[in-house]
Amino acid sequence: MGSELHIAMYITVIISLYINIAVCIYGIISKPNLVKKLISLTILQDSINVFLILIGYRLWRPGIILQPPILLDWSPTSEALKQFLERAVDPLPQALVLTAIVIGLAVNIFLATTILHVYRHFKTVDMDEIGMLKRVVIVEETA
Amino acid sequence: MRNIKARDIIFIVLIILAVVVLALPTLLGSLGPLPPTNIRSIAINYLNATYNQLNPGLWTSSPEAVAAIVWDYRGLDTLFETAVFYSAIIAALVLYRDILGEKDVLKGRGLSIVVQRATAISMVGILVVGAATILHGQLTPGGGFQGGAIAAVAPVIAIVVFSRFLIDRSRLSYKHLLLVRNIALACIALIPLVPIISLAIGYSQVFIFQNQVKAVSNFTFPQIIIDVPMGGTIWFFNLFEGLAVVSAFSLAVIVIFYSEDMSRKAIEGEDIGF
Repeated sequence: MGSELHIAMYITVIISLYINIAVCIYGIISKPNLVKKLISLTILQDSINVFLILIGYRLWRPGIILQPPILLDWSPTSEALKQFLERAVDPLPQALVLTAIVIGLAVNIFLATTILHVYRHFKTVDMDEIGMLKRVVIVEETA
Repeated sequence: MRNIKARDIIFIVLIILAVVVLALPTLLGSLGPLPPTNIRSIAINYLNATYNQLNPGLWTSSPEAVAAIVWDYRGLDTLFETAVFYSAIIAALVLYRDILGEKDVLKGRGLSIVVQRATAISMVGILVVGAATILHGQLTPGGGFQGGAIAAVAPVIAIVVFSRFLIDRSRLSYKHLLLVRNIALACIALIPLVPIISLAIGYSQVFIFQNQVKAVSNFTFPQIIIDVPMGGTIWFFNLFEGLAVVSAFSLAVIVIFYSEDMSRKAIEGEDIGF
């Protein structure tokens, strides 16, 4: 019963992340407001990061002593390393997400400054209105 | 009006379709048994080698597996990811190239004295936590990226609470931050080349990005600092990455927080050639 509940909860979390990802892509595509697009993008980034971390998760198996996966000795024996391997989760998705978060933050800063710049230039952050304004400018220049 | 409704229905159908397309393979077992009870063999290899003194050809002297993967086993990847990170920051700065480093025209006074004193105290805490996260990156979860991001909160609240005027008066100027960032980046680029420099003092064979001894090379970075594992290059990489992250984010924040009058200077003349 306990493990079935675990599996059901795990799959529910994964599918809720899929729904999150789909709604965020909808937000990026369909909303004309650039700030709303940026918000959708950041939530999309975080959803994918949580998903990746979840892939590296490991179900606690009965029979293993409940202890954190750390080495207690600066010169561990092979037995201690074996026990460490029994408890540790996958470090690769964490290493991937670590850099993804910081690069995502830098790209978000770039997008935020670009949106600020666009706002100061056009006095609006609505993509539809910017398109109309640019059309007017082009018509004036060619006339 | 009818047009918009049709568009909404199409979007809803597409969202449901996307979720089903992602969920079906997951339920059919494309990610393996859910939730996983075992880790992948590549993760087992990394975890087993990271702090295994019995296998000195592969160990990193860092008990933290994530830091070992980020800065040793996959160090070259992280070097290029760092390049992507700084390119994004430089791109954000270049948008304001006309006013970079200039003093703001507004003379703000900041928030009240109570908020300023409380913030001054808490800022010390923020910087200490950031420094601890950077310097213990090879022992505990953390490292240069995370510690730098924590410490970068301090300049943000400093600008909000003490006003931009303080930044213009203080030594936390654009020039100094740029200098710190460039020195840190140069060090990150130089550390992988240290083994090559060591060829001049008698080592016969070394590798770029070498951390600890290898089967055919005696060169090694220090393994222990006072009495704890140091992780060789990992500690240096974390330190300089932390410095570079905190200075880069401070630069970006300083530019974003320019007053409106000042920022408008950056777009002058764009209407004749955007």
